[in-house]
Parts: sequence; C-alpha cells; structure tokens
Amino acid sequence: MKLAQLLDKTAAIVRRDLLTAIRYRTGFLITAAGAAAELAAFYYLSRAIGPGFRPDGVDYFPFLLVGTGFYTFLVMGINAFLVIVQEAQQTGTLEILMTTSTPAPVLVFLSAISAFAGNTLQLLFYLGAGLLLFGAPVHANFLGCVVIFVLSLTIAVAIGILAAALQLAIQKGSALVWLLGSGAWFMTGTLFPVATLPRPLRVVAQLIPITHSLDGMRMALLQATNWSALAGEIGILALFSLLLLPFSLMIFSYTLRRARLQGTLSFY
Amino acid sequence: MDSIVLESVSKIFRHHPALFNWMGRERSGETRALDDVSLSVARGKSLVLLGPNGSGKTTTLKLVSTMLLPDAGRVLVQGADTQGAPNEVRKHVGFAVATERSFFPRLSARENLDFFATLDDVPHKARPSRVQAMLERTGLLDAADTLVMKFSSGMYQRLGIARALIKEPSVILLDEPTRSLDPASAAHFWNLVRELPAQGATVILATHSFNEAAAVGDFVAVLHHGRLAGYRKVGDSSVEELRSFYFQTTGELDEAAQLAARGWR
Repeated sequence: MKLAQLLDKTAAIVRRDLLTAIRYRTGFLITAAGAAAELAAFYYLSRAIGPGFRPDGVDYFPFLLVGTGFYTFLVMGINAFLVIVQEAQQTGTLEILMTTSTPAPVLVFLSAISAFAGNTLQLLFYLGAGLLLFGAPVHANFLGCVVIFVLSLTIAVAIGILAAALQLAIQKGSALVWLLGSGAWFMTGTLFPVATLPRPLRVVAQLIPITHSLDGMRMALLQATNWSALAGEIGILALFSLLLLPFSLMIFSYTLRRARLQGTLSFY
Repeated sequence: MDSIVLESVSKIFRHHPALFNWMGRERSGETRALDDVSLSVARGKSLVLLGPNGSGKTTTLKLVSTMLLPDAGRVLVQGADTQGAPNEVRKHVGFAVATERSFFPRLSARENLDFFATLDDVPHKARPSRVQAMLERTGLLDAADTLVMKFSSGMYQRLGIARALIKEPSVILLDEPTRSLDPASAAHFWNLVRELPAQGATVILATHSFNEAAAVGDFVAVLHHGRLAGYRKVGDSSVEELRSFYFQTTGELDEAAQLAARGWR
C-alpha cells in the first residue's frame, strides 16, 4: 500500500470518528466535566493527606496526576480496539469492512490511531489542566517523556489488538480490559507506589508493562531523570514491545481467519 | 474466461452451546450450508441464484466475497483463490449485502459512500464525482446529506447497491437487492444491473423473485439444501417457465400455482 493511500485512509477514519463524536453532542461535555471533577478530587485528596507523603520522592498530587492520566490514556487506548470491533459487530459494518481492499490488520490499526489521537488530546488536556490550574511542579526530560510515551503506546496497541482478537474469538474482549481496568490497576502504581504492596504482588506488578510505563513517565516528567537512570525502564518497555506486538498480530490474524471459517465474524 | 469459479465447495457451520448451558436448551450440531457445489460464471455474464430460505444463496455470495472461507473445495475470483490471495480477491469484488445494518448510522449517505470508497482505494480526486454519480444512479441524491440512521429500508438497500458499485468492481454480488424496493425502484434497479455485464462486470444475484431472475439473469442456478439442484440459461424464458423450473428442481409444492388453478388470485 502506498503512503499516500495510507494517509488518505487514516484521514477518512479520523474524519468518521470525529463526525460521529461531534454528533453525539453530550459526549464531549460529559468527558470534560468528568475529567475536571477527577482532577479536583485528586487535588483535595492530596491536600488532605498532606505534604509529608512523597511517594518516589515527588509530591502526591503530581504523582496522582501522571499515574491516573497516563493509566487512563493507556487503558482507554486498549479499550478503543475492543470498541472498534464491538461497534462494527453491532452496527453490522464488520463483515463489509472485511471485504474492502484494506487488509483487516491495517484497518484495525488505523482505527486505533484515530482513537489514540483523541485520547492524546484528552491526556494533554488532563495533564495541562492539572499543571496549570492546580500548580503541579514539572521537571521534565522531554525527550525521555517522548520515548516512554512511544514505547507505552506500542504496548497498548499490542494489548489492544489482543483484546480485539479476543472479541472476535469469543465475543468477550471486554474481559481483558476489565482485568486491566479493575483487576490490575491497583498493582501498577497508579494511586500509590508499588513498593507498598506485599512482596508477591510486587513481583506480579513488575510483569505488567503499565507499571513500567507509569514509573518511567513519572521519572521523565516529574524528576527530569537522566538517561542512564531511565535506561532500565526503557529497556523493559522495549522488550515488552518487541514481544507483544508480533505476538498480538499473529493472534489477531489467526482469530480473524477462524471467524471467517466458522462464520462468526458478525456475532456479538 | 470464467470470472468466478466454485470447485466442489462445501461449507459447514458448527454450533457449540454456550459454556454454561445447563439452563438452556441449546444443542451442539452442524448445518451443511453448501455441499459439494461447483459452478462458474463467465466474464460479463450474470448468474441468478434461486432457492428457498437456508438453501445456501447468501453463503455462496459470502464465500465469493471472502467474508467466509470454505471448509472444502476452493473459490476463485478472477483467477485468485479466496483462501490464498484474499486481498487480491477483495480488489475485484463489490458486495451489496441483504442486511440494513452495515453503515455508520451517524454519517450521511455521502459520508458513508466516501468512507467506503476510500477504503476501497478509489482515487482521492475521483471520489467526489464518483460518490455524486452513484447517489444519482441509485436515486439518493435528495437524501445525500441525511444521516443514514434516518433512512427507510428501501433507502438502505439503494445505498448498499451504491456502495457495492462505487469502486467499479469487476465482480458484483447482490443479495436480495430489491427486497425492500417499491416496484418502480426495482425496475430502475434491474435496468442498472442489465448495464453492468455490458461494461464487463460479472454479476451474481441472489433472489426469491422470478421476475427479477427473468429480468437480469443470463443463467439461473437453483440451490436446495446446500446442493446445486438445477442450472439453466435464461435466454427468452418467461417468468412462468423459470417458476416451473424452480419447483421441478426443488421438488417443493407450488401452492401459489394450485391456488391460481382454483381461481384464487
């Protein structure tokens, strides 16, 4: 596929999602109001706890801000893959999309780019509002932030493709997102440091890539950590990316072929 | 040369009860949707698939479009195997599905067509005029900028036809395309389909209407219980001739003819 065609298709998908989002008028307002209420709640929670609590050596409010903002960004991104397949099944567009000249993995990937673009705007709004309105201090290694962001994004894409595959295979990709959203979040250091967990859970936490995404992002954004200190997290995230992305694409292709064989492509 | 070839194709749907089915009555089993079917359609010809509900018409179309893959045999489209080269097959095929639920409800007809045209590699510069022309040909120009969630069944059907034709495919699959159309729109559509083979396109159309078969078909194939029960050239056959051919090959009771014979019309 030529680059111009790829860009053309990306623009078409972004335009479709934007138009759909705009036409669900209240959605925008509810999301913005929800984010603002969350920020305020975290701000007053950190004040109530007091300045003595400094997890990983930073103030609690910026710790929460980066943890919840980045965690939500990653989980929402993963969820986007699932929603793309789920909605296409429910609106009946999945089967017909799978017969267009655009290969299915490319289609899912481009749809996710669109979803991640929207989520990135939300993340910037969330972090920006937290930093400007509530005065969270920033000492950033910006390039480090970008590297951690890109690697975390790659991992989220891979897990998202796995969720989409699960949705195709058993129509229950939501189980994976549920596991991340409710079963694993407390182990990733979103609201409190992983170090406070009992030892067995700390070991499990190290096996969840998002733990390293949050650690890395906090170090790069709040503590201006130098490259040698960031190298550990970057290495782990790169390893997860290298393993998860090809694995998830392989699983997705397999489940898609299986759904075509079993005639379950449009089941939901 | 044949544009579409089905060689000894079988398709089986297996049913597995839900994991915790102790409260339900669902049983495992299988449905043989197509059973060793072989047929071909020459380039620039139209084949009409007739057959009762569940005879395998839609399954045949889905197999040609790559929506489904065969359990046995193979399906070739313009020489490309649907299993080995599905992306190549999809470049050639336009499919108007029978279901209404295949569009983005909060996009207009024009936006939906433009979106699918983009995914089907219609060149950027040609797209607006192609979309406009298809809206005109299918009589949707007045509703072009209406969100499709406000469409009637007939409008959905016309939009489905427009989507199938927009990339100017060499193979066109139409699943009960006039089911929800009024008589005038159906006749208009038949004229449109008649033009397609003249432009070099190959058409397979599934229907229950003998009028439609007589109007647009070069050949008819009758499917029954997943098997090819009959095949013939349409030529100058009348609607009545196609009707009796259908009932002879399927062995079903033509109750409508019996009623007519008794004077009940």
